[in-house]
Amino acid sequence: MQNTNIVNSTAQAVKRVRLWYGLLLVVVAIFGVRLFYVQIIRYDHYKVAALSDQLKQYEIPASRGNIQAHNGASTLPIVLNQQLFTLYGDPVYIKKPQEVADKIVPIIGGNAAQYLKQLKQKDTRYVILGKKLTNEQQKKIAALKVPGLGTQAQNYRTYPQNSLAAQVLGFVNDEGAGKYGIEQALNAELKGKPGLLKAITDVNGVPLAASKDNIQQAPVEGKDVLLTLDLAMQQQTESVLADAVKSTRASGASAVILDPRDGSIKAMANVPTYDPSKYFNVEDGKLFGNAAVSEPIEIGSIMKPLTTAAAIDQGVIAPSTSYYDPASWLVDGFRITNIEEDGGAGTRNIADVLNLSLNTGATWELMQMGSGKINAKAREAWHSYMVDHYYFGRTTGVEQGFEAEGYVPPPADNDAGINLTYANTTFGQAMTATPVQVAAAYASMVNGGTMYKPHILEGTIDGAGKKIVNKPKVLKQGVVSPKTSAAMLPLMQNVVAKHHFNPDFDYTAYTVGGKTGTAQIAKPGGGYYADKFNGTYAGFVGGDEAQYVIVVFVDKPTNGGYAGTAAAQPVFGKLAHMLINDSYVMPKKQ
Amino acid sequence: MMRTEMRSTHRTQSRVAVSSALTLGRKHRSDYWLLILCAILLSTGLILVYAIGPALSAAHHVSSGFYLHKQLIAIALSLVAFLITSQVPLQWWKQAYKPLLIAAGLATLLALVLPVNPDYPAHRWVRLGSFSFQSVEVLKFAVMVWLAGFLSQRIKESSITDTNQTLKPILIALGAIGFVVAGIQSDLGSTGVMVAMMTTMAFVAGLPMKRILLITAIIGAGLVLAISATPYRRARLQTYLHPEANCQTTGYQACQALIAVGTGGIVGLGLGSSVQAYGYLPEAANDSIFAIYAEKFGFIGSILLLAVFVAFFARMKSIAERLPDDFSRLLVIGVLSWLSVQSLINIGAMIGLLPLKGITLPFISYGGTSVVFVAAAIGLVFQCSQYAAYSVPRIAEGRNFRDNTLRSRAERA
Repeated sequence: MQNTNIVNSTAQAVKRVRLWYGLLLVVVAIFGVRLFYVQIIRYDHYKVAALSDQLKQYEIPASRGNIQAHNGASTLPIVLNQQLFTLYGDPVYIKKPQEVADKIVPIIGGNAAQYLKQLKQKDTRYVILGKKLTNEQQKKIAALKVPGLGTQAQNYRTYPQNSLAAQVLGFVNDEGAGKYGIEQALNAELKGKPGLLKAITDVNGVPLAASKDNIQQAPVEGKDVLLTLDLAMQQQTESVLADAVKSTRASGASAVILDPRDGSIKAMANVPTYDPSKYFNVEDGKLFGNAAVSEPIEIGSIMKPLTTAAAIDQGVIAPSTSYYDPASWLVDGFRITNIEEDGGAGTRNIADVLNLSLNTGATWELMQMGSGKINAKAREAWHSYMVDHYYFGRTTGVEQGFEAEGYVPPPADNDAGINLTYANTTFGQAMTATPVQVAAAYASMVNGGTMYKPHILEGTIDGAGKKIVNKPKVLKQGVVSPKTSAAMLPLMQNVVAKHHFNPDFDYTAYTVGGKTGTAQIAKPGGGYYADKFNGTYAGFVGGDEAQYVIVVFVDKPTNGGYAGTAAAQPVFGKLAHMLINDSYVMPKKQ
Repeated sequence: MMRTEMRSTHRTQSRVAVSSALTLGRKHRSDYWLLILCAILLSTGLILVYAIGPALSAAHHVSSGFYLHKQLIAIALSLVAFLITSQVPLQWWKQAYKPLLIAAGLATLLALVLPVNPDYPAHRWVRLGSFSFQSVEVLKFAVMVWLAGFLSQRIKESSITDTNQTLKPILIALGAIGFVVAGIQSDLGSTGVMVAMMTTMAFVAGLPMKRILLITAIIGAGLVLAISATPYRRARLQTYLHPEANCQTTGYQACQALIAVGTGGIVGLGLGSSVQAYGYLPEAANDSIFAIYAEKFGFIGSILLLAVFVAFFARMKSIAERLPDDFSRLLVIGVLSWLSVQSLINIGAMIGLLPLKGITLPFISYGGTSVVFVAAAIGLVFQCSQYAAYSVPRIAEGRNFRDNTLRSRAERA
């Protein structure tokens, strides 16, 4: 009995072991089939899934080019790069968010609760915990060795000259795009082309060495650029403007100093301005704009020398012509008059038109273009000079963001007082232009008739520090004839000589010429403000030839008197003296 | 007086010895193939841990030899465990279930009482200074030894089919294990392994099929309850059913494991080229090591590894079949079912056939406790193999298996 039991139990045990083992083999066989499915049939699917996790694509940022400017005989960088770091976290890999949050607070400051909240987010793989970490902070973060915590180098602009020429330079935003000024206009050159790194990485994004899927493409570094700006001149221009805005209680002011011999801009400034290193604190976006190229206004009587030059150039008047001025013209039912101080009707000459700033004189010059009256011929002739010769109503191409075109009314009869409109344009109303446009037009008028593209980019500097200087670009030859140009110089010198400058200029060594403008300001709804004016001045200073054109706009000064004479003219005087005193101007030879 | 006492003591002892004596034949050479297969598996694990050392060191910020070094220490400890279990006679083991169960109970209690590492909040580890182990490994071993002895005793007493004497204690043990290991320690993987092991042993011992099915049904109900009662298990089940839908959250490990296995392709990326070990796949050296292996060695390598495992299981199965004694046979079946079920649960999770359980792959996974107790179990099998008959009894003829083999051996000699 016992024996049979043993035999039976043993036999049953062996049977059951085999049954159980058979089941085990079936499971193993299923696993084998599953492995075949996953590893061979679905291989491509998992390869793609793996690469989407493992293969990371990085931009290798190209370092943005520096911006340099003239400092006496040498050049000096005015915009440089500084490498700072962005700290980010990957919540999927940060297992102990509280601990990590507590660890980063002593390094980068801030609020642990805030970091904890960010690190606990479940729907993202990338949270930015800190920006602009220094090299030292970055090293401390790396030393924590927390998986899922990383830093990313980012270049930031620094400004060794602080806010100098801020609006000319513009800034670089968080995305690395140049905004406003040079940074915007030359963004492509400055930015370069980022390189590309595609690599299989570990979970923290550290590339694993030697993988056949890795791709590397070196970045093309951004070019360093050299500006035509003279830093000392720029500095003084800014300080003169700031003083002027203060003393005339104006809303703002702009000035441009341009070399008429090649169109290069030596100084360009506006008040108020901002600090480009803290651009993100600026509340009024208007401050970013370089008003000298982006804010056209009605320029006022500084147009008169250009009207005169156009009339002389057409041969309809001569520099010495005299005419009878009735002290008012009725045009399209509207009476054009002069200011009281100019006296009544009488015989006037061209010098008087400029010196006394006769609106009726400028209107008379337009009438001469139409053989004695304002008509289509006169309008077309004058329109052609404004737009095709002086380049008003179109961008000049100066290397600045948001350059404005300004406005010149079309000459076609619009049955809405087009002749009155055109009479107004002869003394700088009913049209608008920017300081840079006026400077370019004046430059072509005083340099013998060549319109150079006004420019602020002198050239680029290659990796070896070699300058590649761009040739000045001529937009138009024969803006006016050399003879007309030569005739305009004494006419404008006469205006300066007959106006009061303190101190006066040494006319034996230097030639100084110019013209004021007191421009009415158009109301948004039509008509003009009765009590608000812009003061403008355009002139030149030089020795044997005009070496600098200076254009000054003062926005709504409130210090009394005519805005042009009371507010803009002193700024011109100070800038002209500055150029003479600092030996920027070569005196006459004898 | 003294003498009489001693004699009576001796008699008592010998009576006990007779009643629980093993019906083993003469000892002969052990099964060295078993050890060779173990060595192959163990070396595969070592090579893997060595190969992913740099990746682990990058992901966990330890030196690149850290894991290999710890694993070598564990293997040295395993050798000690192996020597003990293979040398201490089976007779002793059959009677040692009480101290073993007490030790396992103590270890479990310690795990429940001692403070836990906040990273692993389940009360699974016993930490005594620098020494730490998982209590459930002790429990597995102790329960296996106890059950082999218990069942063989019931067979001997012909009460294996008795509900009160056999089934009841087993169900009580199952309930206790389920409560502690699955309930408190939240270790469903180990619970599964133990339940499978105990059920298999009971099945082979000759418990009526009906009751086995009953137990299975009860366990099934318990499993459903366990899963539906805890949110994180429900999440795991969801993850298991739809791993690719939750790749960024709950299904992360399952997805990364499948990616590792899938990218292995036919021949694998090569020993030095695993990417998933670089922090993508959690527990790359422990629970997920099969996926890393499959990534490195591809389909061919995976099938080869499965084949080695199957050869190893086949070896144990063959030993079990040829053992004339119930205790030793049940012991071997216990070890076989433990290691095979644990291996399959682990691999099944890595290839997306089973939910993730958080248990190691025997021999291959890094992890001290696991290796030491596996070695101890193999030591028992190794000792049993000394008593295995040369051939399997011919069941159909119904002859006395023991007499047959003894005769054939005698004839050969």
